[in-house]
Amino acid sequence: MRPVAIIGTGQTDHARRRDDVSQPELVREAASRALTDAGLRPADLDAVVIANMELFEGRAMPELWVGEGAFANGKPCMKVATGGTSGTSSCIAGFHQAASGLFDVVLVVGFEKHSEGHTQTGMALTDPFWDRAVASGALGNFALSISQYMAERGVTEEQAARVAVKSRRNAARNPHAHLKDADATVDDVLNSKLLAHPVRLMDMCPQSDGAAAIVVASADRARELCPRPAWVKAAATRHEQPYIGDIERRLLTMRTLKDASRSVYAAAGITEPLQQFDVAEIYEPVTYAELAWYEILGFCPEGEAGRLIEDGVTEMGGELPVNPSGGVLSANPVGATGVIRMAEAASQILGRAGAHQVEGAETALVTGYGVYAWADAAILGSAA
Amino acid sequence: MIREGSINIPFLYAAGKAGSEFLVALRDRQQLLGSHCPACARTVAPARAFCPGCGGEEMPSVDIGPGAALVSWTDVPGRGVFALVRPDGADNAMLHKLLGPAEGLRPGSRLRAVFADERQGHITDIEGFEILGEGS
Ligand SMILES: [Zn+2]
Repeated sequence: MRPVAIIGTGQTDHARRRDDVSQPELVREAASRALTDAGLRPADLDAVVIANMELFEGRAMPELWVGEGAFANGKPCMKVATGGTSGTSSCIAGFHQAASGLFDVVLVVGFEKHSEGHTQTGMALTDPFWDRAVASGALGNFALSISQYMAERGVTEEQAARVAVKSRRNAARNPHAHLKDADATVDDVLNSKLLAHPVRLMDMCPQSDGAAAIVVASADRARELCPRPAWVKAAATRHEQPYIGDIERRLLTMRTLKDASRSVYAAAGITEPLQQFDVAEIYEPVTYAELAWYEILGFCPEGEAGRLIEDGVTEMGGELPVNPSGGVLSANPVGATGVIRMAEAASQILGRAGAHQVEGAETALVTGYGVYAWADAAILGSAA
Repeated sequence: MIREGSINIPFLYAAGKAGSEFLVALRDRQQLLGSHCPACARTVAPARAFCPGCGGEEMPSVDIGPGAALVSWTDVPGRGVFALVRPDGADNAMLHKLLGPAEGLRPGSRLRAVFADERQGHITDIEGFEILGEGS
């Protein structure tokens, strides 16, 4: 396998509704911006990978409709759909396509237009026998796991609220974020509507309309085209059994994310993640998950995630800024969300993150999360 | 311009061999059924055709419950209390409803499956799990 790098990124301004554009037009916005950022023309692309969860919009085979928005006409094009990991997995598929020598330049585009369909219905169409009739939807499954996590690790509602405050505050410096609030407080979070105990409205990611894209290039093309490519140091995906009751201790263990992260840590020589990463863009669909991921990803020992957020370790200016973009809590167009994580981390390495740039970022961690069934991890770096 | 409409999708899903056995036991015997993997020495519920641990297909059925222990739960305003419960004799958890308020619940709280009077071979043949009290 040959080295590959990300040489350009593009995002829409994610929002509750984008009534002004069709799905292909939404995709085109992100795809065009990524090409411009990479300094390429559509004819320079060898292949396209699309990420989308089609049942959220109630429309089959999205690549048929949106492919031309992604410049895919006349090119190899495929779709990846693995829940929340669709975006990171599609990026990793693009890495593999370029690393294998199959293609030199690959465009990866993820999108979702939640406003056009019914996400709760899409979520409810997963397990028809055991879950659908009892309690369906991602919210319930998260909330179900959180009481166990809180009881064992001593995490408090206030600590979770601090994650939401950090997210909305970071998002205020990101032009693409959907929910921004530079003045959000812990009390705002604790006073927001209770959705499913202990999860409140501000603990939860929104449903957004949006698209994001990255341009992946082989080493030779990356060096030709980009002064400071974001090199892919390692990437891994893991699948898990589907039934929530089978998954060992859920948020407490999260075997998929632990295995995927340890795989990329080993490949990239990461032994002290908190010290060695300059920035992380992690997939935190709910505040409590971000705390759990701190432990799973080895940023702190088990039971110390609450202290990490209280001490500001993961704030901008802290030892390891986590989600300078505002994260999933501030924008969640599901098919795009993993691509956004990768694009944001790449922008940090490329030095193009603007007002939320982490100065001198050289090593970045990216994670993806697809219900409990998938997890992805990738490491980007400034050196090939 | 915005076009509005809705889609109605009919379905007809097979429960499969193990799933059917589980649903028939619920309907006819008011009995929870798990599957035991001799290789992993683990019993999982609901019954299933292959082991989630090792993928093995030798999964004899065993009766489990109706007693159960609370693993984790959430209280959804207007919808009730949902929980992961570990039936006695099982090593994993099942997702179901709790028949009672969330106050005082803690991991390990004792529960018991309550079966519906009219049963039709569906997971809702279990009405839910009643809360007996604090466990160990
Ligand atoms: Zn087994």
